[in-house]
Amino acid sequence: MLTAPTLAQIESIVHDRIRAVLAERIGEIPRLSGAEKLSVTLGLSSLDLAFLVAELEAELGVDPFAKLVSITSVRSVEDLVRAYQQAFFPELQRGGEDDAMAAAVNRAQTRRARRKRR
Amino acid sequence: MPQARKVALVSGGSRGLGAELVSGFLDRHYRVATLSRTKTTFITNMLRARKDRHFHWGAVDGRDHEALRGFVKEVGERLGRIDVLVNNAGIAMEGILSTMRTRDIVEAVEVNLTAALVLAQACSRFMLRQGSGCIVNISSVHAIRGHAGVAVYSATKAALDGLTRSLARELGSRQIRVNSVAPGYFDSDMVSDMAEEQKQRIARRTPLGRLARIDEVANAVHFLASEQASFITGQTLVVDGGITC
Repeated sequence: MLTAPTLAQIESIVHDRIRAVLAERIGEIPRLSGAEKLSVTLGLSSLDLAFLVAELEAELGVDPFAKLVSITSVRSVEDLVRAYQQAFFPELQRGGEDDAMAAAVNRAQTRRARRKRR
Repeated sequence: MPQARKVALVSGGSRGLGAELVSGFLDRHYRVATLSRTKTTFITNMLRARKDRHFHWGAVDGRDHEALRGFVKEVGERLGRIDVLVNNAGIAMEGILSTMRTRDIVEAVEVNLTAALVLAQACSRFMLRQGSGCIVNISSVHAIRGHAGVAVYSATKAALDGLTRSLARELGSRQIRVNSVAPGYFDSDMVSDMAEEQKQRIARRTPLGRLARIDEVANAVHFLASEQASFITGQTLVVDGGITC
């Protein structure tokens, strides 16, 4: 891709690639909202995800997982979309980190509350 | 319509086993890409002889991860695909571990292991998209038997065999095979400094009574890269004249 895509274009490309993988795996092309979990909801394996990353690198020319984002932080379709959006628009990264931090704090608080209940 | 030539990427193809592999793949009608730190006479001659698009060379230092990734990308874009990766580049590192400089240990790990990991990662992306591929890691008998004075080298080569087994499991479902070739002593730059007496001692300990010829090691790689090895993955093929048996 010669010029930087828009946020909407990135989302559309990522969704299309996921749907293409799903079409090959299960023969149907579901509509994606973004909230779907790649593994739990869509049944994608880690190798499917590796294939997706290779396909998206070929199409978009970037690999956000080389340095920017850890692949283990990607759980949902929108996580994957956000990773590519951040690769093109680094200014989005700050918010992403804050979200990740907030999510981590939230998880830690939940764990602490569970331990107290025991 | 004739089938497109397959593409093989050989690391460290400027001399020794790497150069033998480059020639062998070209003889088998592959298009070949290789990388090395310096342009040797072999590379100069190959570039002169193969002015067509069947041979490509890049000056890349194995410790430079970005350059390694960039080279793979360039090969993929220029030649259209990557069917075979041979992780051949390596440096011999001899010496007693307790007196070895840390920077030498790090360099051996970088060149012998990390570079292979980076190349396998980058090439496997092309192979995943193609739904086929083959990776051959050049290991060593030192990965199988312990020898004093080669602890670091042994560690890096044994790690390559571990990589072979795990990566074979990771990529098998996409028809990507991963194997190792573990050569014993063969006529190459790595044994050129060895005393004649030492070479004779190794030959005496080898059931076949001699060191290997370089083509005998290369042939094992070509076999694993070929369709004849289509159901072999995750294995280490030891080519040592029986010295480890």
